[in-house]
Amino acid sequence: MPTVVLMDVSLSMTRPVSLDGIEEFQRKNLAVHGLNMLFEHMASNYRLEFTSLMAFSSLWELLVPFTRDYNALQEALSNLEDYDKTCVEAALNGVSNVVQQEWGSACPCQVVLVTDGSLGIGKGSLRHSLQTLKQRGDDKKFPLPFPFPTKLFIMCIANAEELQMTDAMDNLEELLCLSGGDGQIFTMEGPLCMKSVQTMFGKLIDLVYSPFHAVLHCGNLSSDVQVFPRPEPVVMDEEVEPMPRTVSTDLEIVGFIEIADIASPPVISRHLVLPIAVNKDVDEVGTGTTDELEEEPSASQMAGKSPNFCVLLHGSLKFAFLPLSKKKSNLMMSLFDPGPEPLPWLGKISHLGPISEAADNPYGEDDSKSPFPVQPQVKRSYAQNVTVWIKASGLQTDVQKILRNARKLPDKTQTFYKELNRLRKAALAFGFWELLKGVADLLERECTMLPDSAHPDAAFQLSHAAQQLKLASTGDSQYAAFDHNIVPMHTDFSS
Amino acid sequence: MLFPDREALPSQGFHQICKMKMFSVAHKTVFVVDHCPYMAESSRQQVECDVLTKSRAQGVIPLAPVSKSLWTCAVECSMEYCRILYDVYPKDKLVNYIVSDSEFHILNSWRREDQSTHELMSALAAVGPPNPREDPECCSILHGLVAAVESLCKITELQHEKRIALMDTADRVANRGRIICLTNAKSDTHVRMLEDCIQETIIEQNKLAAGSDRLMAIQQCELVLVHIYPQGEDTLVSDRPKKEISPLLTSEVHSVRAGRHLATKLNILVQQHFDLASTTITNIPMKPTLNVCEQEEQHANTSANYDVELLHHRDAHLEFFKSGDLHMAGTSTRENGLKETVTLKWCTPRTNSIELHYCTGAYRISPTDVNSRPSSCLTNFLLNGRSVLLEQPRKSGSKVISHMLSSHGGEIFLHVLNSNRSTLEDPPSISEGCGGRVTDYRITDFGEFMRENRLTPVSESSHDPSGKLPAERAKAQLERHTRYWPMIISQTTIFNMQAVVPLANLIVKETLTDEDVLTCQKTVYNLVDMERKNDPLPISTVGSRGKGPKRDEQYRIMWNELETLVKTHAGATDRHQRVLDCIIACRSKPPEEEDRKKRGRKREEREDRTEKNGSKETDDKSWQDSERLKGLMDKDEQESEVIKDSPDSPEPLNKKPRLTSEEIQPPERTKGPVSLLTMWSNRITAVNSRKHQEFFGRASSVNSKFELYQHLKDENGMDVHENGKATR
Repeated sequence: MPTVVLMDVSLSMTRPVSLDGIEEFQRKNLAVHGLNMLFEHMASNYRLEFTSLMAFSSLWELLVPFTRDYNALQEALSNLEDYDKTCVEAALNGVSNVVQQEWGSACPCQVVLVTDGSLGIGKGSLRHSLQTLKQRGDDKKFPLPFPFPTKLFIMCIANAEELQMTDAMDNLEELLCLSGGDGQIFTMEGPLCMKSVQTMFGKLIDLVYSPFHAVLHCGNLSSDVQVFPRPEPVVMDEEVEPMPRTVSTDLEIVGFIEIADIASPPVISRHLVLPIAVNKDVDEVGTGTTDELEEEPSASQMAGKSPNFCVLLHGSLKFAFLPLSKKKSNLMMSLFDPGPEPLPWLGKISHLGPISEAADNPYGEDDSKSPFPVQPQVKRSYAQNVTVWIKASGLQTDVQKILRNARKLPDKTQTFYKELNRLRKAALAFGFWELLKGVADLLERECTMLPDSAHPDAAFQLSHAAQQLKLASTGDSQYAAFDHNIVPMHTDFSS
Repeated sequence: MLFPDREALPSQGFHQICKMKMFSVAHKTVFVVDHCPYMAESSRQQVECDVLTKSRAQGVIPLAPVSKSLWTCAVECSMEYCRILYDVYPKDKLVNYIVSDSEFHILNSWRREDQSTHELMSALAAVGPPNPREDPECCSILHGLVAAVESLCKITELQHEKRIALMDTADRVANRGRIICLTNAKSDTHVRMLEDCIQETIIEQNKLAAGSDRLMAIQQCELVLVHIYPQGEDTLVSDRPKKEISPLLTSEVHSVRAGRHLATKLNILVQQHFDLASTTITNIPMKPTLNVCEQEEQHANTSANYDVELLHHRDAHLEFFKSGDLHMAGTSTRENGLKETVTLKWCTPRTNSIELHYCTGAYRISPTDVNSRPSSCLTNFLLNGRSVLLEQPRKSGSKVISHMLSSHGGEIFLHVLNSNRSTLEDPPSISEGCGGRVTDYRITDFGEFMRENRLTPVSESSHDPSGKLPAERAKAQLERHTRYWPMIISQTTIFNMQAVVPLANLIVKETLTDEDVLTCQKTVYNLVDMERKNDPLPISTVGSRGKGPKRDEQYRIMWNELETLVKTHAGATDRHQRVLDCIIACRSKPPEEEDRKKRGRKREEREDRTEKNGSKETDDKSWQDSERLKGLMDKDEQESEVIKDSPDSPEPLNKKPRLTSEEIQPPERTKGPVSLLTMWSNRITAVNSRKHQEFFGRASSVNSKFELYQHLKDENGMDVHENGKATR
């Protein structure tokens, strides 16, 4: 989930922070210190996150496009300049553009807004933006909520009391609410100093940028892993189940399934599963005598050389499914909708069992078949030749089909009666008795028009069918039962 | 209390998946269709069903056109509504169909098994068209509307299941519903009377429901009244948008001419009611090769391109709505000005390659015009197992594959494919991470393991005596299959030996037959035979300089490993135990520790250090760990000398076996002072025991009894083996 850091570089950020005569800082220095701490943390613990840095005052500027190069981000922080007044709305429009250009409108994004809480004055101020929210045309809509799912974190280089003296806190809360409500407003506790800014950014890091560590289990085989990005909690139905579902830190393999059977399933999110070395020993690495130091392998080298289940699993999956591919690949985890049956074609997940319990291998001895997909009990309309006469053409086609077969009697006896019965059923269900009479008349007419060369059976079948339709059109329960079928008249012309 | 129409709002917050609430008004739909005498009137829309071909037209008087009654129009349009609904939501969006004349007739129930158009058609056939001679004074739509309110109070299976599951928060299960009334009303006043009556009935029924387990009070009811009148007449009832009658009831009135206007209206309603949207697939080639329903086509050789319109949940267009691309994406407004469709272009599929697309949603579809030739060609093509990628036309003219049509188990889904840049691009290489530099993983063996542990759907009716769900049994199988499963080739001997396969495959089973035990025993005898013949073994030479362990030591390693494998299963059943007994009885005993003293000091130090480094595996079941560790350490030390182990290239035979003498040797180190090695072994054991998970003895005890310190024998054996390796 990419991050946009949106840094307030308005003049108010240069306000000094008084610290009892000790060296003076500007609020900007505190903000930069906090962001440096965040970037350092990400560089070592959350390196795969794409982060971009934007600065804003009355205008906005993309300082660093989305990157994993945290040095570049820190470098840009050290070169910030000071500008005029704060205009949050323009900056948020900038965020919206930058994110959509890079990731489209479906990719969830995190926005870290760093500001001192003085949110501009007059036109362009956040207060003004929020007040005029409802008086805008389609072309000047407020940028929130963003089209993409958003988590908004507002880092205030100010304490809560200060923000509550004006309407700044109210405005920020409204901003968070407008963005969809997912996120948090952080303020500094105690005096404005390096220590309290560290505490504040520390909370953000713990909440959002702590790596998700889990254990991947396959029976007794297991591997410590990091799952990236962090799996997000999911609410399926806020009324029935308002508690979000979260991903357990024990990821248990239940069994295996062919790629063709899983068939491009819809996923909530996808995550890299990266094996990690967790040092469970309390003992520190003993260094022994100095002359052995060169031989001492580093911890990561050691980890690289001890067999890891993730690597085995990845290797075997790759070998099984893409034996010839030279493409770089990784172990990935896809999250399905939580619930008993995320993919209808697999059936209930809890009812997937081992093939060893089946009498015969459901995949066949030579893998020639598959127990998937699971078939639904009732066929969909497009798979069961339903009758729809909403359009006149539908009805005409069905009548013509019967007539076409009628002219080819007795060769087409079976098809003729099949189509006749289909029409009969629909006409009875729709209460369309007039149609039954009409088709009976048509069949009688066909009977009179039979050529001399026609098989004598044709005439018998046509008048029999016509008579049966007429009986059905009376609604007489003996002849108009839905499940009843008109059967061909029994004739014997063999002699 | 107000129940705002929440499902109309976009989802808020990104942990929300945009779905209809489980118990929104869409959960329960009651159709109330007027069956009074006036519904037998003709719609006056005529259908020419005798379409004469030119050649036959001469001298034949064509049949007079037929016309549908108001009743027929109402029924077929409501069936079409249900058809689309059941196609897109086969489960838990329920319809209860009621017909009203001098009394009400309930044609089906909320039960899942009653939810199909076939059931409803069968029931409708039994009702038949209205009787025009019935006394109109006795007939009223009110009977049906009252029954509809009563029906909405009846609990559905899903409501029941959820209430049971939620226990004390059962009140989260809401009871809302919609009544679609197809009737011919007399006037606006008549409509108001019907609304008032429904309102009163709701209040009455809610009182009744309060005292019942099988009834639920109605929290929200949406009345959709469709007034149907014949073509060519003026309507006596005016259209009215949705308005709130009371906090419990909203009502809207649609005044529609019978025939195709009614059909269009109900098609729009089903889309509104169930959050549907329309996609038109364009440029579908109907070449004979692609076409499966061509047999009746007169001009089968012509190849034309067709369009097919599909309905599906509107979330399949979510990205278009959000990005504002909708109007560029070939959206067109229909003639009626109410419905929009998104146009996507067919991309002729390549050969049946199996690809796993990054798909963010899959939605069931229903063709708008299910019986039309283009529709049935497309659906049959998909039902036959082909998938079709769909291209979104963009204003820039660039090609973007945005969707895929594919069928699974006879159901067709519109998959939404991700066409944006991935945030997971350029991930770290697996070879740079943990275990990335190990080169001899048992890749093919694990591939076979995965094949054996594939899953299959188990019918819900099949009952397992253990009471465990199939997925739990699958996990239990994985547990059994991995009790002893070395991950790399150089960690194992037995899994590199074809001769062990029959036993290794059988011993992991939950239960063994006598025949299985016999097969295992035969495997063991076969190994004994191999040992007697001094057959070479695929012992790992990784980490050993020179020739590796001697042949008799190789066999001892093999027997130890086999015993380790079987011991992990011996506790399961008596038959498993019999296999272990057989191995213990047949295997060669560890040799004397005579050459133990040759071990060098340097190695010990190195191993000691490794242990401190904590790179060791944590299980302490057997000699395996120290053995494995040593292999790794040695490999580390002499990387250039590593010879990849292979079962095909065993050590050449060079030493005589010492079978006979060994068998009578006491395995214990009974003589002499304690060696450095013993001290080291004891230390290792002590360290390991701190990390262990379950007492091995407890795990594999027989009748709660287990011989303690068996592993000392093994460890003893290992020491000797190590000496052998070190000998140069």
